[in-house]
Amino acid sequence: MTSFLPLADRLQASAARTPDAEAIVHGTRRVSYGELWAQVRAVAGYLKAGGLDRGDRVAVLLENSVEYVAAYYGTLAAGGVAVGLNASARAREISAWLDHCGARVLFVAARHPDVEALRARAHTGLTVVTVDASDDGDWKRLLASAPADVVPVGPEDTAAILYTSGTTGRPKGVTLSHGNLSANNASIIQYLGLLPSDRVLNLLPFFYSYGSSVLHTHLATGATLVIENNLIYPQKTLARLADERITGFPGVPSTFALLLQAADFSKFDLGALRYLTQAGGAMPPATIQRLREALPNARLFVMYGQTEATARLTYLPPDRLDDKLGSVGVPIPGVEIEVHDETDRPVPVGVDGEVCVRGGNVMTGYFNDQPATQSVLRNGWLHTGDLGHLDADGYLYLQGRRSDMIKSGAHRISPFDIEEVIAALPEVAETAVVGIPDDVLGEAIKAVITLKPGATLDAMQVQRHCSEQLPRYKVPRTVEFATSLPRTSSGKIKRYQLAGTAAAS
Amino acid sequence: MQQQIRSFILTSFLFTDDESKLKNHDSLLEQGIMDSTGVLELVGFLESQFGIKVADDELVPENLDSVDRIVAFVGRKQPAQSRAAAAV
Repeated sequence: MTSFLPLADRLQASAARTPDAEAIVHGTRRVSYGELWAQVRAVAGYLKAGGLDRGDRVAVLLENSVEYVAAYYGTLAAGGVAVGLNASARAREISAWLDHCGARVLFVAARHPDVEALRARAHTGLTVVTVDASDDGDWKRLLASAPADVVPVGPEDTAAILYTSGTTGRPKGVTLSHGNLSANNASIIQYLGLLPSDRVLNLLPFFYSYGSSVLHTHLATGATLVIENNLIYPQKTLARLADERITGFPGVPSTFALLLQAADFSKFDLGALRYLTQAGGAMPPATIQRLREALPNARLFVMYGQTEATARLTYLPPDRLDDKLGSVGVPIPGVEIEVHDETDRPVPVGVDGEVCVRGGNVMTGYFNDQPATQSVLRNGWLHTGDLGHLDADGYLYLQGRRSDMIKSGAHRISPFDIEEVIAALPEVAETAVVGIPDDVLGEAIKAVITLKPGATLDAMQVQRHCSEQLPRYKVPRTVEFATSLPRTSSGKIKRYQLAGTAAAS
Repeated sequence: MQQQIRSFILTSFLFTDDESKLKNHDSLLEQGIMDSTGVLELVGFLESQFGIKVADDELVPENLDSVDRIVAFVGRKQPAQSRAAAAV
């Protein structure tokens, strides 16, 4: 078992070791460990001067940026609980999260479209700090705060809340302790063999567990994070990989599918790349093959994890990719895996069941939601909701999920959340949202709607309504109208039928 | 051509036919109008609508990040004969 080291202490150690090394590169900005640590101390000083107590929640609603990192680590250093929120979410969801976690402070981009609506929430005791580059803005003033030292924390203390795909009516806040983050961080650094000389190009949002793990592990190592916030122009991304001499590149299946589809890798010098990581759903073997051919010198780590387990649960050692193709690998250091049957007993090798895990990385629970916590943390194991089996060598093979969650690109999307928004349209009688297969994204969103008698509505009106209430990636690509929705005899909507074929209209 | 491109972007990415929502010089990236699959849809539309072929290395913001840039890019790509035909 590795020793306990809180994230803020690890960053402090990196800054003390190599203050002049590049910590973060974003666009034309290059921020050293020394500069980053100074910002973290200023944020911590600001929060403590404002009366932040240990365990108070601080929400960070920013795209990946130096400011995100400073606000997040400043919160941890002040003894607070950092809550990274989805930067593309709209007021409807954001308000639900802020209420749910009782945030005292919100860091939000000054140009966020809902910033005025969020400011109006001062009555809830929320302090809103806007972040922009201007000299007279909140952020610049805040950076002039008297710096504070790190507040000591223990492994049981709460460090972070990550909202996963719940609904606005019932947000699901995965609550992670400093011990959880420390344990998962150490395991990942170990199996990836991260070094201070590593330079990672990160496209993954820090407010999701995968991106968050990339951030924390590389800062703890003293490596360099190069932030890119989109993959709209694959040529630019590949040029960045070459120009910055990137050694590590994490992605989800759609990251690699988009790059392979739209760019010729051989035109770029990617010789420094030594590892690729892939999580976030199964990548088709054909994509794996093409990726290995395009980048023969980079080791590809196929991985599996869950926010409820901080981030990472298993990895497939790159030299086993051929003989264990299709597997997500073996447990990372410090994690145990069993497959359980319906009665929660372990099943024999080769038999499918629910993947159950335990280890220092397993969350303490869902924030303020004992029933939801008890439904997954039972008998000492985290029940992941994922189905699969172990082979005789202990390699895990996943077979799908129990839930109706849609996996699109890097996102896990609850269909109920989108249904809730569509159902608010007065013309709509009923709606069901499903994922349909998509070559690039894995799944794309389809909404099937039945209308009230005499009502009229077209697809574009539905999409526009959704785009006003939901982040872009949750807006249905396809909207179909039907006379009725297929149901089971007990009245449950048959989602698989809607996903499989065009609805009867 | 400009009107066809505007109409495609308005209906596919902004879900509206309100012309005031899109200015010809707006950066599609900065306005949050474009994402990584959107750009592929846009290219598919340009190829089928205007009979051009977009190469990998032409997938850059200089060609695609605003209505004005797209119009200029398609104009450069279209063979002279189809421009002549369009002018009739």
